[in-house]
Amino acid sequence: MALLQIAEPGQSTVPHEHRLAAGIDLGTTNSLVASVKSGEAQTLNDEAGNDILPSIVSYQEAETLVGEQAKKFTVSDAENTIVSAKRLIGRSLKDIQGKYPSLPYSFSGDENHPEIQTRHGLINPVQVSAEILKSLNVRAEQALGGELTGVVITVPAHFDDAQRQSTKDAAKIAGLNVLRLLNEPTAAAVAYGLDSGQEGVIAIYDLGGGTFDISILRLNKGVFEVLATGGDSALGGDDFDVALVDHIIEQANLTRPLSNAMERQLSQQACIAKEQLSQNNQVEVNLTIDDKPWSTTLSKETFNTLIAGLVNKTLRACRRTLKDADITIDEVIEVVMVGGSTRVPLVRSEVEKYFKKLPLTSIDPDKVVAVGAAIQADILAGNKPDSEVLLLDVIPLSLGLETMGGLVEKVISRNTTIPVAKAQEFTTFKDGQTAMAVHVLQGERELVDDCRSLARFELRGIPPMTAGAAHIRVTFKVDADGLLEVTAMEKSTGVESKVEVKPSFGLDDSKITEMIIDSMTNAKEDIQARMVKEQQVEASRVIESIQAALVEDGKLLSEDEITAIENAISSLALIAQTNIAADIEAAIEILNDSTAIFAERRMDASIRTALSGQSVDEV
Amino acid sequence: MNYFQLFGLSEKFTLDNTKLSEVYQTLQKAVHPDRFAHASNQDQLVAVQKSAMINDAYQTLKNPLKRAGYMLKLRGTEMPNEQNSFSDNAFLMRQMELREMLAEVKFAEDIDAAVFEINQTLDSEFSLLFKALQVKLNECNSAADNLAIEDLRKLKFYQKLHVELDRLEDLLFED
Repeated sequence: MALLQIAEPGQSTVPHEHRLAAGIDLGTTNSLVASVKSGEAQTLNDEAGNDILPSIVSYQEAETLVGEQAKKFTVSDAENTIVSAKRLIGRSLKDIQGKYPSLPYSFSGDENHPEIQTRHGLINPVQVSAEILKSLNVRAEQALGGELTGVVITVPAHFDDAQRQSTKDAAKIAGLNVLRLLNEPTAAAVAYGLDSGQEGVIAIYDLGGGTFDISILRLNKGVFEVLATGGDSALGGDDFDVALVDHIIEQANLTRPLSNAMERQLSQQACIAKEQLSQNNQVEVNLTIDDKPWSTTLSKETFNTLIAGLVNKTLRACRRTLKDADITIDEVIEVVMVGGSTRVPLVRSEVEKYFKKLPLTSIDPDKVVAVGAAIQADILAGNKPDSEVLLLDVIPLSLGLETMGGLVEKVISRNTTIPVAKAQEFTTFKDGQTAMAVHVLQGERELVDDCRSLARFELRGIPPMTAGAAHIRVTFKVDADGLLEVTAMEKSTGVESKVEVKPSFGLDDSKITEMIIDSMTNAKEDIQARMVKEQQVEASRVIESIQAALVEDGKLLSEDEITAIENAISSLALIAQTNIAADIEAAIEILNDSTAIFAERRMDASIRTALSGQSVDEV
Repeated sequence: MNYFQLFGLSEKFTLDNTKLSEVYQTLQKAVHPDRFAHASNQDQLVAVQKSAMINDAYQTLKNPLKRAGYMLKLRGTEMPNEQNSFSDNAFLMRQMELREMLAEVKFAEDIDAAVFEINQTLDSEFSLLFKALQVKLNECNSAADNLAIEDLRKLKFYQKLHVELDRLEDLLFED
């Protein structure tokens, strides 16, 4: 194993090698993986030649099945076959049961970490997503002939912090390095924009199986600037099926509760009927009720009436988002349709009516997100250093803190470009108060109860002072993945207390490690070895990138400074050959710290260079 | 380095929006975390910080009221505390009238027309004040700056009314 090669600074670094990277569209109903091969982004097929993987995981006696194989068990073994896990991820039990009352699973686990009882024991929805990711990873490695450097995973733009964090956790369990979480409509815009060369304001209308997003973007010279995004993380084609199922139940004189198998049969038939109605004006729905055949005719008109309210809901979101973007309908030059549910004729005709132009349906609505993610993964992996493409995305929902009286004070408002850092100051309201509760919320409403609770923590160790004398600074940081980190600090006395937030709905590190161990199907695999290998890969990545930086910008450092960094590189290289993950991790940390000043100077230098390219006016 | 310097712009209230957004995009192309997704953690950390700072600078310079507040702060004139009372009684009376108008919108016979009308009123009063602010800011002396702060405070009242009108509109169209 030659993981680490040390080069004398100035002499080497690896000439440009192509790093394998992939884009993954982790959908509610279907998932895909795509990659850039010889300059072109394309979806990757499984052995049977299919690129679409149904997002279904079935826990069978001997093995865990994913995709088509799992699909066979959706009716016969509904309790152990998890479909649409994306709708459950990052949600509380209360959320799930309120929104989807007739799911065939039996839940346990606590309120904030619901788990599904299967014959493989308790399974968290995050683990279900991890199985799907693993399956796509295997496919990608086979198709590309090597291990992936990293992946871009797409999420609905409207996903909140807990849902995003859970998606990232799923990737961690699957052993994937996430280069970025990318919003689905933004991914679609990249695929569309680079392909068409179009410039101006476009709208991406993305109606998938379980989520709806509308994003307004401005395309200009390779820059994809999201002006605003909106939607509903619990509205999609599945809801059309639900409306149809309710209708069929009424027609067939059935009464709930029904058996799990019956519920599954109904939703399958509803889904088939929905798809056929995209082509035909009426369809026959056939069911087996109490072992007897039963059928009814369903007209397109009836279907349209059933879903009209849902389609309208999407248009209301369009209206609000255009307003947030400060864009009029006439300024939108193109409406791009994404997601399988945009095949429904009523959706197309209503969108056309609303935007007053024919929506673009020529690109494959199932593949465009994965293709966009693959293009971005290729860039992020470092394969296109001269690329002009830049994505400027936004945070979909406002972030705030609970204040007196159960009210929410917004710290970062929705549609703010990320990354972003904002701080707000608070004070104590009682004499001698030494602790303060911080409650972090996400949402647009004014009352705490109407917003999503993301995390609670307490800042302790505030020195006792008179009321109002303490200065508590709460800082919100949202990174490029749209993930939030909150810290609080009392600064008036110079005493700093700092707390990092663990999201209420997320999994803690020990739980994730436990799940990684659980997920190791092969006895030969072992967690220790995997962790060592992960750290070794990380070590070689860090060394490689710092050496490249030294070659490029070593002139920004004094000789002593260069020596210090080189020493840290050498000691990391030595330690990386041992097999103690924690030691390697610590050495990586030391090397990273030793480059702090260097990183800062390089970044400032690149800002200066960028500015000098501009004609600096009037100074 | 202040935000104007960061963007290579002179500290004037009137600025070229196209130019501003061009510089913004150029700077983000240099420091955005996407450029450093494969770099060392230290580089990624610094990239997030710089990129967030450039985002904040851009938002501050792009939004005229934020820009005015920022310029006044650079010149050493700080906004008075929100609790400080307003001495301009006529202005306060007018604000109360506007609030009443807003509250009555939902009872109007033609809601669309009522929303349109109040929008027009808010816009025209806002732009009058805004022009006054602009003139004062361009004088570049502390007496004018102190008056400008008052205008800015008033403009923020209008901004709040606008936000409330938006919220009201959302509610009315949601049903």
